[in-house]
Amino acid sequence: MKQLFIRNSVLIRNSKVLKNGQLLMQEPEDLQLSKFLKNIYKERKLKYPKFFKMDRLSKLGYLGAEILTNGQIEDENTALFFANSASSLQTDEAYAESMEEFPSPSLFVYTLPNILLGEISIRHRLNSENIFFVFQDFDAGLFVDYVSTLFSQGKTENALCGWVNLHNNDYDVFLWEIALSGGIDFNEEELKKLYLPTHE
Amino acid sequence: MKGVAVTGMGIISAIGRNIEETQNSLQNNKDGISFPEILPTIHKSLPVGEIKLSNREISELLDLPADHACTRSSLLAMLAINELLEKSIWPEFPKDTGFISGTSIGGIDKTEEHFFDFKDSPEYRKYIQAQHPGYTTEKIAEYFGLGGTVTTISTACSSAANAIMMGAQLIESGKLKRVIVGGSDCLTKFTLNGFNSLKILSQKKGRPFDQDRDGLNLGEAAAYLLLEAEDCLAGKSILGRVSGFGNANDAFHQTASSEDGEGAFQAISKALKKAGLSPVEIDYINAHGTGTSNNDLSESMALKRIFEDTLPAFSSTKAFSGHTLGAAGAVEAVFSLLSINNNEIYPNLNFKNAMVETNLEPVIAIQENDIRTVLSNSFGFGGNCTSLIFQKHG
Repeated sequence: MKQLFIRNSVLIRNSKVLKNGQLLMQEPEDLQLSKFLKNIYKERKLKYPKFFKMDRLSKLGYLGAEILTNGQIEDENTALFFANSASSLQTDEAYAESMEEFPSPSLFVYTLPNILLGEISIRHRLNSENIFFVFQDFDAGLFVDYVSTLFSQGKTENALCGWVNLHNNDYDVFLWEIALSGGIDFNEEELKKLYLPTHE
Repeated sequence: MKGVAVTGMGIISAIGRNIEETQNSLQNNKDGISFPEILPTIHKSLPVGEIKLSNREISELLDLPADHACTRSSLLAMLAINELLEKSIWPEFPKDTGFISGTSIGGIDKTEEHFFDFKDSPEYRKYIQAQHPGYTTEKIAEYFGLGGTVTTISTACSSAANAIMMGAQLIESGKLKRVIVGGSDCLTKFTLNGFNSLKILSQKKGRPFDQDRDGLNLGEAAAYLLLEAEDCLAGKSILGRVSGFGNANDAFHQTASSEDGEGAFQAISKALKKAGLSPVEIDYINAHGTGTSNNDLSESMALKRIFEDTLPAFSSTKAFSGHTLGAAGAVEAVFSLLSINNNEIYPNLNFKNAMVETNLEPVIAIQENDIRTVLSNSFGFGGNCTSLIFQKHG
């Protein structure tokens, strides 16, 4: 089995944005999610008008990926491996409500979690391996097993992984890059430490 | 001859409640497109591929207890897998049989039916968890006593194709000896209104690959294959092999396909490479061919890029069944295997004029031919493109 490394990581949680443990942005805790998302977009000086059409789950994934990669994924064969527990439920509910009056096409297109993978693939022109799992909870072991297998089968040399969960506007975003060199050892223990740091 | 063996199949769709009825409809140009009678929708004039059996009628056919909590997708799947089981050598599936089911809708039908009852009627709360697609798969697994590897794939319209691909990979890697793969999706208000809001539903019967195509008809179906490893095959009839598969993201738009069909092109290329075949060795293509302006053009471009001047016979069979979303890849896998076993190509109904952009003409009347190798395409929202290759045994 090849030794793999976690290169960079991003957390978007509790109105804060952290990269590699460093606080990049902090907004008031009670700030509405939609405003928080827009503030991140502005603060990072992003220029990607498609952002404004995305649902909130995709916005979270897109922003996380931009911050993680500084807007550049060099290896076009980078695999995407994402997961969450609430699937696209928040948008499913919003679309179902719109059906009462006029079903919204712009909501309907986001009623699948793999649209988030689509958005990141579109942004970075990736036709690569991608998968989106729905788990009960963050499962470090499955990330390690699955991604290690992709690497050991020679299917990829880089991976972008993420836990992007959103329900009732409660969000939890954790993204990280896996590569063949540099950074922290990629194993369950290290991944759990990055996901749930004991100190802040 | 390499590949994973297909040793059984079962299907229910708007064109038949089993393999024989399905084959009969395909051979006699009998589509299953009608107006909704079972689905409680206000869109009574939108044509759909509806299975004319109520949930109550299916429950009776399956001999389920009155208080079962099965979603419609799980009921349809039970009928299809029952057929597969009845035609097998077993009274029940061996314990080491895996189960991988594709679905796009899962149990949304139950949420639609009972959402407003949840608050005041505790007896309906068992359906809250039905929203999750895994619930539908678990119900099917429970009915057949499948307790090993059981998982759900939900990647919109490529779900069942991905389930077949995953099953084939599990067999190739030696993780499983035997696995039931396929998909099931029922009609719901959620999807009918959603596709209608995207303005991609035809008011008429769908006309895939036609210059004047104006959208798809939604359908419902369940279809499953039994895949088995080499050392399980003694004495069994083999319907065909899954010899190639490939998946790629189109990376173009949330729901629409790219102009040059890049995702489809890459998925087909990977499937050919996996099967060790060159394009000229494909005898027939069962296209994704939804009948929307966008898909059929994009898919045609991809086909032209792969096959250049030697495009084999192709057709979309969605004008028969409607677009059955998460089940489509398995429905069309069954059709592809029927093509291989009967040496016939089922037609692309309702086609009149070729698209001006590509000038491709699908097969429009049943055609007899030696069919050894079939390519089947399934492309889903999110840019998820999958291609499968089925080959004749021997």
